[in-house]
Amino acid sequence: MRRHWGKKALTTMIVSGLILAGCSGNGDSEKENTPPASSESAVKTEGFPIVDEPIKLKMFTRIAPANGPFKEMPVFQDYEKMSNIQVEFIEAPTDGFAEKKNLLFASNELPDALYRSELNPLETIRYGTSGQLIPLEGLIDKYAPNLKALMEEYPEIRSAITTPEGHIYSIPGIVSTGSARTDKRWINKAWLEKLGLEEPKTTDELYNVLVAFRDGDPNGNGEKDEIPMSARKGAAGIPIANFFTGSFGLDLQFGYNINIEDGKVNIWSGDEKHKELLMYLNKLYTEKLLDQEIFSHTEAQYLAKQGTGNTGMFFDQTNNNFLPIQDQYVGIAPPAGPHGDQKQSTVAPVPRDFGAFAITSVNKYPEATMRWIDYFYSDEGSTLLRFGREGEHYELKDGIPYYTEEFLAIEGAQGKMTPYAGGGAPHLISDKVASFINPPQVQAAFEKLEPYMPEIRYAAPMFDEATAQQVNILRNDIDKYVDEQSTKFIVGALSFDKWEEFQSTLKKMNIEELEKIYQEAYDKMEK
Amino acid sequence: MPKQQAVMKPSDEKVFDAVVYVIAAVIMIIVLYPLIYIVSASFSDPSKVLNGDVWLLPKGVNLDAYSNIIENDRIWTGYRNTIIYTVVGTIINVLMTLLAAYPLSRPDLPGRNAIMVLITLTMFFGGGLIPTYLLVKDLGMVNTMWALIVPGAIATYNLIVMRTYFQTSIPWELQEAAHMDGCSNWRLLISIILPLSKPILAVMVLFYAVGHWNSFFPALIYIREETLHPLQLVLREILMISQSSMFEGGSVGLENQILLAETIKFAVIIISSLPVLIMYPFVQRHFVKGVMIGSIKG
Amino acid sequence: MESEQVTAALSLSQPKRGSGLLKKIAKRYDLYLMLLLPVAWYLIFHYGPLYGLQIAFKNFNPAKGIFGSPWEGFSHFERFFDSYYFWRLLWNTISINLFSLLIAFPIPILLALLVNEIKSKTYSKWLQNITYIPHFISVVVIVGILNSMLAPTGPINMLIEAFGGTPVRFLEQAGWFKTIFIGSNIWQSMGWQSIIYIAALSGVNPQLYEAAKMDGASRLRRIWHVSLPGIAPVIVILLILDIGHFMNVGFEKILLMQNNLNLESSDVISTFVYTTGILKGEYSYTAAIGLFNSVINLILLLLVNRFARKTSETSLW
Repeated sequence: MRRHWGKKALTTMIVSGLILAGCSGNGDSEKENTPPASSESAVKTEGFPIVDEPIKLKMFTRIAPANGPFKEMPVFQDYEKMSNIQVEFIEAPTDGFAEKKNLLFASNELPDALYRSELNPLETIRYGTSGQLIPLEGLIDKYAPNLKALMEEYPEIRSAITTPEGHIYSIPGIVSTGSARTDKRWINKAWLEKLGLEEPKTTDELYNVLVAFRDGDPNGNGEKDEIPMSARKGAAGIPIANFFTGSFGLDLQFGYNINIEDGKVNIWSGDEKHKELLMYLNKLYTEKLLDQEIFSHTEAQYLAKQGTGNTGMFFDQTNNNFLPIQDQYVGIAPPAGPHGDQKQSTVAPVPRDFGAFAITSVNKYPEATMRWIDYFYSDEGSTLLRFGREGEHYELKDGIPYYTEEFLAIEGAQGKMTPYAGGGAPHLISDKVASFINPPQVQAAFEKLEPYMPEIRYAAPMFDEATAQQVNILRNDIDKYVDEQSTKFIVGALSFDKWEEFQSTLKKMNIEELEKIYQEAYDKMEK
Repeated sequence: MPKQQAVMKPSDEKVFDAVVYVIAAVIMIIVLYPLIYIVSASFSDPSKVLNGDVWLLPKGVNLDAYSNIIENDRIWTGYRNTIIYTVVGTIINVLMTLLAAYPLSRPDLPGRNAIMVLITLTMFFGGGLIPTYLLVKDLGMVNTMWALIVPGAIATYNLIVMRTYFQTSIPWELQEAAHMDGCSNWRLLISIILPLSKPILAVMVLFYAVGHWNSFFPALIYIREETLHPLQLVLREILMISQSSMFEGGSVGLENQILLAETIKFAVIIISSLPVLIMYPFVQRHFVKGVMIGSIKG
Repeated sequence: MESEQVTAALSLSQPKRGSGLLKKIAKRYDLYLMLLLPVAWYLIFHYGPLYGLQIAFKNFNPAKGIFGSPWEGFSHFERFFDSYYFWRLLWNTISINLFSLLIAFPIPILLALLVNEIKSKTYSKWLQNITYIPHFISVVVIVGILNSMLAPTGPINMLIEAFGGTPVRFLEQAGWFKTIFIGSNIWQSMGWQSIIYIAALSGVNPQLYEAAKMDGASRLRRIWHVSLPGIAPVIVILLILDIGHFMNVGFEKILLMQNNLNLESSDVISTFVYTTGILKGEYSYTAAIGLFNSVINLILLLLVNRFARKTSETSLW
C-alpha cells in the first residue's frame, strides 16, 4: 500500500519536473540569425587601412600553453593600427577548447569569426549548411587576393576545402615550404663515423647499420645501452610504420592508408606490401633494433631521447630538440625497399591545418574580415605574425627575417610573441618565413628527401554530411583494428600466420565500402 | 583497567597489538614510497627524472621547478580563486546537504521514500552538457563563480552518506523524546542533531572542500575570464605541455618547456596539495571529538 | 515554488487516506520546509536539463539545437551494439568492476578497522594522514609514477632481476593491465575511502566494547561482533552505491595507460565513448551509450537495493 502511494507521488513529481524543465529549456537556437548587414561600400579592396571608420570584431580563439594573451602580441597591436579593425579575442585554452567551441554553436552565442579554430570537415559542413558559418568563396574572390593567388598556384587547396555543393566554409593554414610538411630522418653521424659505416641507402643496409649501433658500442661506455632507432608514439596511427611505407611501395594519400595508381584508389591495409612492411619492422623490434618503448613512451620521454645523443636514428621535422648536440646528426634519404621502392610518404598536404578560420552569420563586416585575414597569407603579413617587429624581435638577412639573438635568449618569450607557437594559426608558411624552423641543417636534411616526395599530396577529401558520418563510423572500427593488430604484428604478440584472419576481419568491417567512398570522392575531384 | 586485564590474556593482547602495528607500518611504507619519489623528482634535474635515474633521493638537485612556479602570477591568482570557491562552495554544500539529509532520515516523514527515489535517479540520468550549459547561461551564471558552486550544490552520494549516518548513529528514541518535550524540528536539528553529528559534518566538509579544490571541469566549461580561473585549470595547462605532441615544432625552447613541465608537474602537485594536507589534521580532530561525544552520550 | 508543487503533489496523490496522513504531514510542515530548497534545486538542476536525454534518439546537430535536430530512433544504439568491439568493451568494463568490487571494496573497511585498533593516537593519526595523501595526486602523475616504477629498468624489475627472474614489460602486456590498474586504484584511494568508515566507527557506542570486554571477547571477536555490525549499514549503503556505478570506469587514467599492446584488456566503454564520441563531437552517439550504461546501472541498483532491504534493515529506500 505504502509503496504504491510512493510510486504515484513519484510520477506526479517527475511530470511536474518535466513541465518545469520545458519552461527552463527554451533558450535554444531558435533565435533568428541576423543577416549580415551590407557594409560593402566601406571596405576597400586594396591598401590599408581596410576601413576608414574603425570597426570592432569578436573572434573566438584557442590559446596554447606556450602563448600569452593575444592582445599583448605585437602582431595584433600593430595590425590593428594598420587596418583600423580592432579584434577582441575570446580565448579558450587548448584543454577543453573543443567542448567550448561546440557549445558556442549549440547555444548560438556566436562570435564574428573563429580564429585558429581547428574545425574538422564534419563540423564545417554541419555549421555551414545550418547557416551559422557563411560561405566564403565569393568573398575570397573579391577580398582575398593573396589567398586566391595561393589557391591558383596549389589547386589541391581548393579541392581540400570545397564542399560537394561548391561552398567554402573555412580557410586552412597553408604550408608552401616543403620542409615544414615532412619529418626528417635524422641519423647519428658520429656513430656512423666511429664504426666506419656509410649512410644506409636500402632497408637492408639500414638493418646492418642498426645492428652495428646495437653491438658496436658506439657511445663507448662498454654497455649495450644504445637505442638504435626510435620514433614518437603518436596520438593515432603508428608513426614508425608510416615512416617506412615509402620503402614498401605504400603511399599515404588523402591523409589515410591510400595508394592512388592510374586513377584507382586502393586502401592498402591488409595488402601483401603492408605485410612486408610489418615483417621488416617485426624483425627490427624483436632484435631490439627498435626502441622497445616505442609504443608506450610519452612525448616528453621521446624528446628527451633526441637530446641525449644516445639514439642512433629518429624522426622529427626540425632539429630544435637536439640543438646542443646538432653536429652529431645528419638527415638521410628514405631507404630503398626490397622491390626498389623509395619514397618519402609522410608528407602533409599544402593546406595543412584544416578549418583554421571561419566567419559566422552574425558578422556585420564579412568583407572587412576576409581582408583582415587575407593579409596573413602574404609573406609580409606572415612575417609580422611569426616574427613580430623588425629590430625588436627580428632582423633581416638577405631579405629573410631571423629572430635576434637577444630575443631568443629570453625563455618562453617567443610563444608569448606569436600565435603560431602551438600550431594551427591561419597563415602562410613559405620559405621566406621559415628561417627558424628551417635552418641550414634542416634544409640539408630536407634536400635529401625532396627528390622522393610525392608530386601531389591530396588532403582528406570533403564529403557531404551523410557520407562524412558514414566514413566516420567505418573508420572508427577499421582504424582501431588496423592500429592494434599492426602493433601486435610488429612486437610479435601476433604471429604472421594470422595474416589471413586480419584480412578477412577487415573485409567484414566493410573496408571495400570505404574504398568505394574514397574512389567516388577522387573521381569527383578529378572531373 | 586492571579488571579487564584479568579477563583478557595479556600475551594475546600484546601479540595482537604487535600485528596491528606491523601491518600499519607496511601500509605506510607502501604508500609513502611513491610520495617520496614525487618529492625527490620535484627537486631533481628533469632529464634525470625522465631517464629513470631518480628512484629514491633527488639527483642533480635543481630548484627551477619551484622558482618557475613561484614566479608565475597565474598560479597565485588561481590559488586565491580556488580558496574563495572552496570556502563559499563548501558552506553552501554542507548547508544544502544537511537540509536534505536530515528530513529524509526521519522515519516518520510521509513521502520520504518517494523523494529519495527522485534524488537517487539523478545519479543515473542527466541531460548532458548542453542543456545544463544553457540552463546555467539563462540563469546568468556563466563566467561567474556561481557557475562553479550552484549547479553542484549537493552531491547525491554525500547526501546518502549523511542520511545514513543520521539514521544509524543518532538514536531515534532521543529525537522522539525531544519531540515529547515540545521541541520543534528546527530546534531539534540545531541543538540536538548537529552537536551529535560532528564526525559526519567534518567528513562532509572534507569531501566537499577537496572536491572544490580538485575540480576543474565546470571551470573549463563555464569560465572564460582568465582572472577567474581556479588553480586546477592553471595546473592542467602546465601539465598539458608535457603531453602534447605537436607537428609544428619550432617554438623556441619548447623542448625545454616540455622537460621543465615534467618536473614542474611534481612541484605543482606538492604546492597545490599542501593546503588540503594542512587542513586535514584540523578536521580530523573533530573525528576524535566525535568519539568523545559518543562516550559522554553513553 | 517548485517544492510547493511537490508538496501539493504529495498530498493530492493520497486523498483517500484521509485526515490521518494530512495531519501527519501538517504536523511536520517544518521538515518539508527544510526540504524546500534542496528539492527545488534537484528539480531545476537535475530534472530541468533532462530533456537533453532525447539526443540519444536524435541526430544532434549543435546548430539546430536539441529540439530542432532530426529524430533517429535507435540507430545510435544499434551502431554501438553492432560495433566490432562491443563484447570486448562490455567484458572489460564488467570484469574491471567485478574485480574492484571483490578486492578494492573491502580494503578501506579493513583499513578503518585497523586504524580503530591502534591504541596510540599519534600512530593512528600518522597512518591516516599518510594513506589519504595519494588521493590528491592527479592521474597524470600517478600514471607517470607507474611508468617509472614498472619500466624494464625500474625498481620493480630490478628487484625481479635480483632474485634471478627476467624483467617483465608490465605496461605492454594485456595480462597485467587489470592488476596494475586496480592495484594502483587501491593505493590511491584506500585511505580516502576509509574516512567514512572511520567516522562511522567513531559513532559506535563505546559501552558496547566495554560490555564485550567484560564478557571476555578477544580483540578479533570484538571487531567481528561490535565494530563490524556498528558500521554495517554504512557498508551496505556504499556497496549499493558502488554497484549502482558498475558500468562506469574512470576514463582518464585508463586512457593514459592504454597502448595498442594492452588494448585487449584496457579497452572499456568509457574510453571508447571518449575517443570515438566526445573527441569527435558525436554527442548523440555518446548520449546513447551513456543512456545504455545508466539503464544497466539503475537496474543493478534496484536489484541490490531490494536484496538489501530483504536481507538487512538497511537500504536506500
